[in-house]
Amino acid sequence: MEVELMHQPGNSAARMIIPAGETVTAEAGAMISMSSDVQIETTTHKRGKGGVMKALRRMLSGESMFLNHFTPGANGGEVIVAATLAGDMMVYDLDDEELVVQSGSFVACEEQLDVDMNWQGFKSLLSGESVFWLRIRGTGKVVLSSFGAIYQLSVDSEQIVDTGHIVAFNETLDFTISKAGKSWLQSILGGEGFVCRFNGRGTVWCQSHNASSFGRNLGPMLKPR
Amino acid sequence: MRDDTSEFEFEVSCKPDFAYLNVQVPAGVTLKVESSAMACMDTNMKMKTKMRGGLGRMFTGESLFINEFTAEGAPAEIGIAPGAPGDLAHVYLEGGDDEIYLQNSGYVASSVGVDLATKWQGLVKGFFGGEGLFLVKATGTGDLWFSTFGAMIEVDVEDEYVVDTAYIVAFTAGLDYKVSRVGGYKSLFLSGEGFVARFSGQGKLWIQTRQLPAFGAWVLPFRPVKDPG
Repeated sequence: MEVELMHQPGNSAARMIIPAGETVTAEAGAMISMSSDVQIETTTHKRGKGGVMKALRRMLSGESMFLNHFTPGANGGEVIVAATLAGDMMVYDLDDEELVVQSGSFVACEEQLDVDMNWQGFKSLLSGESVFWLRIRGTGKVVLSSFGAIYQLSVDSEQIVDTGHIVAFNETLDFTISKAGKSWLQSILGGEGFVCRFNGRGTVWCQSHNASSFGRNLGPMLKPR
Repeated sequence: MRDDTSEFEFEVSCKPDFAYLNVQVPAGVTLKVESSAMACMDTNMKMKTKMRGGLGRMFTGESLFINEFTAEGAPAEIGIAPGAPGDLAHVYLEGGDDEIYLQNSGYVASSVGVDLATKWQGLVKGFFGGEGLFLVKATGTGDLWFSTFGAMIEVDVEDEYVVDTAYIVAFTAGLDYKVSRVGGYKSLFLSGEGFVARFSGQGKLWIQTRQLPAFGAWVLPFRPVKDPG
């Protein structure tokens, strides 16, 4: 497929031009519009491979449990997708490799790629912050979104990134999730719940804003539920 | 319908994320503006509030009123800001059967020569369409400005095109649409796409890259929990 990113970086959308015979998998709810003869199939995971456990893991990851598979007609077609929040988008072309993607940043990918949870995720009851990542493996294009702008960090030894600011990173990087301050109390009071300590060589794509922080700023202004 | 002519001198700045409209109104001329969209104006601009066509607006949560701004004695300038951040488009209606349909919340401003009518889209067409339940039908001769939440994508439909109902902003009268589900019944409930509008015919379609209901739903989990005491 060919991807054309539009209206970057504020309210970006991605036009995916899909040749006949190819299928694109997208996050449930991401579709804005499409050619009239594109067929949609909704599954819990990869087409033709059910798997209750995989679906459950996706649910835990904060992603909706479902994926939509778009297949154009005999002349190919287009599907336009976007994220809910304002921000940029990017396309990454995987070449027989793995990319770790923050679950909320996944928008779409070519169907032959394997989308899976590599880790069960991690949630702190104290700070309410959670870390859930998807692992995307294989050869093909993946479309990602960010909250705010995207910037790249090239890591060649060590780097610390707040987990809420990670969009994606190369699997070549080793990482550990830890607290930002010396003690848990400091980390939570300082609002820097979890950080990711990267080690090795690779790229980390970061988003300029943290969606949970934005939500927590808005929350107190709304009626209690 | 064209976009290269206008009764007014106007400028749209800060596209596509924070589009803002500035219109120079000649002396004695009136401009209709969506309720509460006026941001600033010259002191000789006089405002009159009018009821606007149909009870439909009440059901969609839009204001029932529209403001008319008249430049008295001398030309006057008015700055207009849509309620949600996004892009803004202009068209000039040439009368006759020149028609454009707008999603209710998309209306920004228009000349007095443009008639606005709220049209119920009927049970079959609009019932599951959310925003599409009522549309504003604009006819007549003059300028019309409308806005989006997020950026704007223009599509020239030549045969058929499918849009999620929440992303429709405006379309020309040459297009007909039917609201339908996508995929099978499983997709209806699980795909997150709900209902789509299947446009057919020839015409122009404007869609937005973000939708307010989804943003609202995203914010909801951050609401504080009610104190049980």
